[in-house]
Amino acid sequence: MNSGWSRGYVVLAGTFILAPLLVVVAVAFTSASFVSFPPPGWSLRWLAKVLADPAFMRPLGNSLVLAALAASGAALLAVPAALALARGGFRGAAEIESFLLSPLSLPALILSLSLLFFLARIGLGGQPIGLWIGHVVVTIPYMLRTVLATYRGVDRSAEEAAMTLGATPLRVFLHVTLPMIRPGILAGGLFAFLVSFDEVAIALLLSTMRTATLPVAILNHIAHNYDPAVAAISLINIALVTVAMLALEFGFGLDRLMLSRGRK
Amino acid sequence: MTSDRRRAGLLVAPAVLFLAGFFLGPLLLGVGVSLGHGPGGTPGFGQYTRLLGDSYYWEVARNTLGLAAAVTALTLAIGYPYALILTRAGGVAKTLLLLLVVAPLMVNVVVRTFGWMVVFGRAGLLNALLRGLGLPELDILNSWTAIAIALAHVLLPFMVLSIAATLEGLDPALGEAAATLGADPWRQFRHVLLPLSLHGAITGCLLVFALCMGSFVTPLVMGNNRTMVLAVLVYQQLTVTSDWAFAATLGLVLLALVLAVFWLQARLARRLAA
Repeated sequence: MNSGWSRGYVVLAGTFILAPLLVVVAVAFTSASFVSFPPPGWSLRWLAKVLADPAFMRPLGNSLVLAALAASGAALLAVPAALALARGGFRGAAEIESFLLSPLSLPALILSLSLLFFLARIGLGGQPIGLWIGHVVVTIPYMLRTVLATYRGVDRSAEEAAMTLGATPLRVFLHVTLPMIRPGILAGGLFAFLVSFDEVAIALLLSTMRTATLPVAILNHIAHNYDPAVAAISLINIALVTVAMLALEFGFGLDRLMLSRGRK
Repeated sequence: MTSDRRRAGLLVAPAVLFLAGFFLGPLLLGVGVSLGHGPGGTPGFGQYTRLLGDSYYWEVARNTLGLAAAVTALTLAIGYPYALILTRAGGVAKTLLLLLVVAPLMVNVVVRTFGWMVVFGRAGLLNALLRGLGLPELDILNSWTAIAIALAHVLLPFMVLSIAATLEGLDPALGEAAATLGADPWRQFRHVLLPLSLHGAITGCLLVFALCMGSFVTPLVMGNNRTMVLAVLVYQQLTVTSDWAFAATLGLVLLALVLAVFWLQARLARRLAA
């Protein structure tokens, strides 16, 4: 393929990829009281409006808290499991790994619907903890995969050396294993945070007015009114995620994380 | 050895128990609810016969599969060349191409759908362009076409990443060897790259098809009653009609269709491998 053709192709594909995002950014700065493109004039009125509007700011806070708690929960459950699975040597390790990754391959709507029934049955319907449970279920696979990849990639002879020298398992974990897998935990945690922050299906069915997350609030707003406030809050959402993405890229190298998806 | 095994068990147990309780358990309960073991239900296959006996649901199922097929074809057509260019690029260009394709992945699907509403809306980008060119305006916001394009945009990163992951794993020496043996670029592509990247393309198609079947935000927000798909119907049964048993049944039918696609693709992959 010659480079002129590929350059032209990238421009076309790039336009397709960026167009719907750029129009949102443009409409966020419109001076009009309705959605139109191109905007007739520019202003910060819609950004100021949503930043002062608890109907958006409270869901934003909810989303940040939920994402942090979900990532922590996923880390507490998935990191120990990843260590055991990477060391292997026990029966059913491969099956357990597949099972722990399986929430990835189920449509989120099906999981969300099942959890709705289940939480109602055990008396947790409409409770904030139900939302947290749902998000931990969907973030465990991301955490597990990242930590597994990191731990499988490091030289574990230092652990054996420490053990031979008489260190207790806890000391080996804290002083040898943990420093080695820390990049994996941080990357997996940030990944889990973003997945939770971005999640819609579970949040939509399991949240209430009080616990609605940002995507749910935006979705509800679009359903009732089609105005530039959606663009303004979307811009804030995009800005927050961009910061996190840049942290991932500069901290850990995005291509390593993304392109290792298909491989084990 | 035994203590090692016990320690491994203890490390794995919390995650396994959590998912058994809050992932597997709810799914099994969902099956139970669809069979009438829920509040106010009568046990049996009543919900399934209701679904199979109504031509409306067959039409919705056909629409769902048709939309997923169209979106898969679109993402493959756009994504394959992109993945090829991505894997051949080096240095900064590669990072930028990768950022370009994964950036939308991190923009919420609700926001991206809203973006397409601004593109296709009556006072939107598309109509502004058409006006500028002196062409008649279009009103396609609530059409299958608009929904398919928006979904292709949402799912494109999965296709590109699946194909790129396979292409990355290929030895560049393969292409060089073919070139040394006198193959022109088209023959190199046709006989070396394409067969070897087929695995990634199949993985990508499978992933996009399955994700598309389960997507409901985009068809919910952009569509209307004429563009009904199974996932939106499930959501409506839960929130509007509050018919949990029927929602569970529709959800399981959706899941069965997704699993059937996985099975077909696995068979196809095996045949290709043979």
